[in-house]
Amino acid sequence: MLPVYICEDDERIRDAERRWLEKQIVIEGLDMEIALCTGKPEELLAYLADGQRQGIYFLDVELKGASMDGFQLGQEIRKKDARGFLVYVTAFKELAFETFRYHLEALDYICKQEPEQMYAGLSQCLKIIAERVSREQGGPQEYFTVKTVDVVRHIPLEEILYFATAGRTHRLELHARQERLDFIGNMGELEERLKPHFIRVHRSFLVRVDQIAGIERKSMEIVLKNGERCPFSRNMRKKLESAEIPEA
Amino acid sequence: MSFFQITAANVWSMALNFIFLLWMSAILFGRIPRRGIKNAVICVLAGAGMVLLIATLGTICFLTGVWDWKYNLGALAWEYFVLACKALLLWFLYRISFRNCWLGVMMVEIMFTYGTLLSELYLYLFGKEFYRIAVMEERRSYLFWFLVVSPVCFMLCGLVIDKSGVGKIYRKWLEQEEIHKGIIVLLAIYPAILYIFEMEISVEQPKAAFLLLPLSMLLVIHVIFVYVGRDRQQRIYILAQQASLRQQTIYIEKMEQVQSELRRFRHDFQNMMAGMYLQAKEGDLDAVRNYIQEMTGDFDRQVGDQIKLMNQLGNIRVMEVKSLFLEKLIRMQQEEIPCILEAFPPFESTRMHMTDLCRCLGILLDNAMDEVKGKKDGKVWLMVSVQNGCTTFRIKNTLYGTVDFQQLGRQGYTTKGSGRGTGLESYQKILAKYDYVFSFTAIQDGYFVQELKIEEL
Repeated sequence: MLPVYICEDDERIRDAERRWLEKQIVIEGLDMEIALCTGKPEELLAYLADGQRQGIYFLDVELKGASMDGFQLGQEIRKKDARGFLVYVTAFKELAFETFRYHLEALDYICKQEPEQMYAGLSQCLKIIAERVSREQGGPQEYFTVKTVDVVRHIPLEEILYFATAGRTHRLELHARQERLDFIGNMGELEERLKPHFIRVHRSFLVRVDQIAGIERKSMEIVLKNGERCPFSRNMRKKLESAEIPEA
Repeated sequence: MSFFQITAANVWSMALNFIFLLWMSAILFGRIPRRGIKNAVICVLAGAGMVLLIATLGTICFLTGVWDWKYNLGALAWEYFVLACKALLLWFLYRISFRNCWLGVMMVEIMFTYGTLLSELYLYLFGKEFYRIAVMEERRSYLFWFLVVSPVCFMLCGLVIDKSGVGKIYRKWLEQEEIHKGIIVLLAIYPAILYIFEMEISVEQPKAAFLLLPLSMLLVIHVIFVYVGRDRQQRIYILAQQASLRQQTIYIEKMEQVQSELRRFRHDFQNMMAGMYLQAKEGDLDAVRNYIQEMTGDFDRQVGDQIKLMNQLGNIRVMEVKSLFLEKLIRMQQEEIPCILEAFPPFESTRMHMTDLCRCLGILLDNAMDEVKGKKDGKVWLMVSVQNGCTTFRIKNTLYGTVDFQQLGRQGYTTKGSGRGTGLESYQKILAKYDYVFSFTAIQDGYFVQELKIEEL
């Protein structure tokens, strides 16, 4: 059961949120419950244990009389619950939501000025969360986790096509189906970590095995399923042949 | 003297020379090459290898009489060979352009002359012009000078250079788009001038006289630095003024817009209030609610968004980036592309070179704008965020077509039809120069996301 937390300084809005959410949980038959409803961020943080299981947080941005604002609260929550769903409920028109989303992986933000709009937003969020949770339960996906300076990204392993070394020192490039990024890393360590799903076909290339469509002996190139090509080294040839990869 | 003895002496002076080079280059470039124990070992090994190689080759040249060639040509060629080796070493260690390495080496060479002069001054004051190595006592005092006095002189010289903040000025100078060609030539022929000077003067006159050359050389460079620096300052100042003028114009325009909207709103507001009053009287609460919603929504759309945009723009305190964003925002407004800008907290400075940063951002913004231009419901989000010691620029736009990730950034690939948009290729090229800049490109939930992250610490 997913715990739902509300942190909102205005008592009337807090009650309205709680009542609406409780109603929605019952109507939609969602596997959730309201765990805590408070106006003080400290209370919420004290309630959360370290290594907290995934929860849903509806947070206000401007918390009057509190020691922190919604952004800082989000950061603290992230330390305890890395996978939780953060939703900001705010009247704050200047909210830099893209920044919130980026740094806190916030799910959405809801404007509380119009009650109708707020209720619709709350219901929509619950629906999205329920969908995501059921999708995650459908089959655990393996992720490749990489930290680039201040952000941690999780990329599904099966989305990744290959890794390549970039010109700069210790710089590696990750090429995925719909993503491309560079990070600091070591090809050798990566090879060890991703065995046996990935194979080092060349000094500078680590390719996902099930993405290989075939090899081209003449040009010494591997052809990937999406048509991309990368070179393979002479001593990899035997290994590739024994893995029964067809000729492209 | 035997081959071994000469080589040993060469190794010592070359080692001194190279340690000085590494120290000074760290000051000039403002960083230590490649961190980590493994890299430190590589640095030491590469340096030691080069020292041994040059020392041995030097001995061979000495014994085969290369240095006795006419007009000192052999010695001069040797000098340039050593300089090239040094530049190569710096290039290997720092991975910056060879031209910058060469400039760095020449600067260090001038500084090195000071160390040499200082140690020779000691000889002039306390020692002799020529030592007879065969005489034990003379050999001892020569070795004292060679092994103790010289290193101390170089250390003193280095400390003065370190404290004088030369590195900062030098890096500022390098930042310019175009470095004065004259200064490159001047620096490159410095060893040759020094030789001629030495040949002509030192024979007849006291050694201290040719102190003049490196001094005058530094003076010339200093003048150029100051001139270029002031020129640059002026250009930045003019740019800042232009930008602020443009900002003010836009600001006034926006304020006028806001004012006329307010006037219109006031007119509508009175009508709406009258309407609302009637609806309320009839007890039609739904209609009243609709009225209120319409009114607040309208106000936000017309006035609130404009004010928000200007507020966010105010958080970008780096003039060059601010001007760039302004230009692009105006273009987006003309092309009716809705845009949301977020700069939070204020962006005050960055260590990436401004020209490079602006070029990169320009490319990313153009990509985003070209994609949504003329399309229905297209939107662009710009985010500038300074958090945890790094600056992130994130540009997101609605995506209509597809992006071929395998071709992205490759030579000649464009998302905009043939003959256009070699942008991403030059973007990658610029980024390749920076060890502390990271890029990220992705399609996320139907949006195209481009990100540039600068590690500031």
